[in-house]
Amino acid sequence: MAMEHRRGRVSLIKAASWAFTLLAAGAVVAMVGLFVWQSRPVWRHAGWGFLSGREWFYRQEIFGAAPMIYGTLVVAAVALGLAAPIGIGAALFTSEFLPRRLRIPVKVSLELLAGVPSVVYGLLGILLLRGWVYDLLEPWEPLSGDTLLTAGLLLAVMILPTVMTLTEDALRGVPAAQRLAARGLGLTATEVVLRVSLPQAAPGILAAVLLSLGRALGEMIAVFLVVGRQDNQWPSPLLTLRPLTEAGQTLASKLGGAETNIAYGDPLHWSAMVGLALVLLALVTSLTLLGARLRRSDHAP
Amino acid sequence: MRRKSVHRLFVVATGLCAVAAVALLVLIVWSIASRGWAALSWSFFTGHMREVGADGGIFHNLIGTLILLATAAATSTPLALAIALVHGVYLRHHRLRRFVGLGLTILNGVPSILFGLFGMIVFVQWLGWGKSWLTGGLLLGLMILPTVSVSLIERIASLPDRYLEAAAGLGLPTSRIIRSVILPQSLGGLLTGSLLGLARAAGETAPIMFTATIFAGATIPQGIKESPVLSLPYHIFVLAQDSFDPAAGGRLWGAALVLLGLVLTLSLAALPARLRLHEEAHDT
Repeated sequence: MAMEHRRGRVSLIKAASWAFTLLAAGAVVAMVGLFVWQSRPVWRHAGWGFLSGREWFYRQEIFGAAPMIYGTLVVAAVALGLAAPIGIGAALFTSEFLPRRLRIPVKVSLELLAGVPSVVYGLLGILLLRGWVYDLLEPWEPLSGDTLLTAGLLLAVMILPTVMTLTEDALRGVPAAQRLAARGLGLTATEVVLRVSLPQAAPGILAAVLLSLGRALGEMIAVFLVVGRQDNQWPSPLLTLRPLTEAGQTLASKLGGAETNIAYGDPLHWSAMVGLALVLLALVTSLTLLGARLRRSDHAP
Repeated sequence: MRRKSVHRLFVVATGLCAVAAVALLVLIVWSIASRGWAALSWSFFTGHMREVGADGGIFHNLIGTLILLATAAATSTPLALAIALVHGVYLRHHRLRRFVGLGLTILNGVPSILFGLFGMIVFVQWLGWGKSWLTGGLLLGLMILPTVSVSLIERIASLPDRYLEAAAGLGLPTSRIIRSVILPQSLGGLLTGSLLGLARAAGETAPIMFTATIFAGATIPQGIKESPVLSLPYHIFVLAQDSFDPAAGGRLWGAALVLLGLVLTLSLAALPARLRLHEEAHDT
């Protein structure tokens, strides 16, 4: 955009634009700064033990976030394990095999699916999914249908549209001429997908998966309603599948609970809660940055 | 022959994935609609909640959600316009522009519960507003800011150069070009982005549960800062946690159906413009 600036007269629009932009930037910086600043007491109190500690008893001033970090990662892993293959498969189908006329309705459904509020997913989770999971886990004698697995399944449905839409974007970024050339060499449509489209779109698809993972880590409402919110659940041995059949707690579900209101009166307890928020923010933001980087390198000529 | 059958298998496998995704939407809408349909009546929309949601309507919940949405739109619109103009007009360096874009991407990824915590610290506690619709609207506005801004930025970037060149050729100052060319031509982008953002904001519970909304006892807000509102998502969230009184059940599903209807309507309204942009971007 080539435009001449007139010097000597301050434009009201220019001043207002900069002022509002700086205001928005200030709000974001303030949020991050506030989380860092308000969580200082717990870092001084527990040090790295805040991240590695396996127990959280706020009355005894013991603050260990490891079970919640574990719960967050397990739930997100289940969600991603299901949503990534299905989402990528569906995106491959719609962008590579489906004619344009049929692609639009599928895209519309996905946009709508992405818009369903998380509290509605939570409600369905409570009323339907919880019962199904309980029946499914019957052989392992679960205490209830509120388990890490339930939360993971619900999250899988929630992030499926994100995986699919972003993957489709990546696939459609591959030039059509390359597909035509490959077909011309006698490759079947599937071989074109596997040897041309997928390798070229790989960074973008990885970005799609990372950005969806970020969403899964931070989702509160739906997880809150079906995860059981059981503190201090730590797996032994570390790599067992047993916790999937038990209730657990994630960083976000902890922050959404009543404890957030209780904690405000006590500086140390409050700083521990804000510390959880900071850990969550750090996890999600690093995934966002990584994803954004991959997407950019993908779009570069 | 083997290559052909591999191809067929692949198409079937990926096709099943796509069918599963579409079937999920149908299943979700059907699950809500079939249970909530019976609760819908005129008095459900105009009545007040009674007996902890087991009786009466959702009038004030709906009004509260609409107040929050209007405030969010009023917050995000000036901020998004400013960011889009700074990005598209005033920032000359490519790197600085990318920095703005990156900031929006990061903000877009921030989990919604963290907005709630931020608002709780600043507005509820420091400023002493207590639960307030204004806080909720401001937080939701900040949350949807990336959606609105990016839509506007994309629209401004896609303006034909000749419009701007013609305006500059007339000797118009930048501020005049913005007012007469850029803004009128990009209002559609603002509208699309706002609809999408509001569709997301309407269903959010996490940012407002500690800061703006209560379950019962609020009507039309009397004050600017200190008045909480009822809201649809929080209503559903609270009722869903209870051991599920069957009497409240029907009305709970009704409320969920109304919320789903509101959100899907907002998304659908934004859709034509989005699809056009998407298809154009990829068909070149």
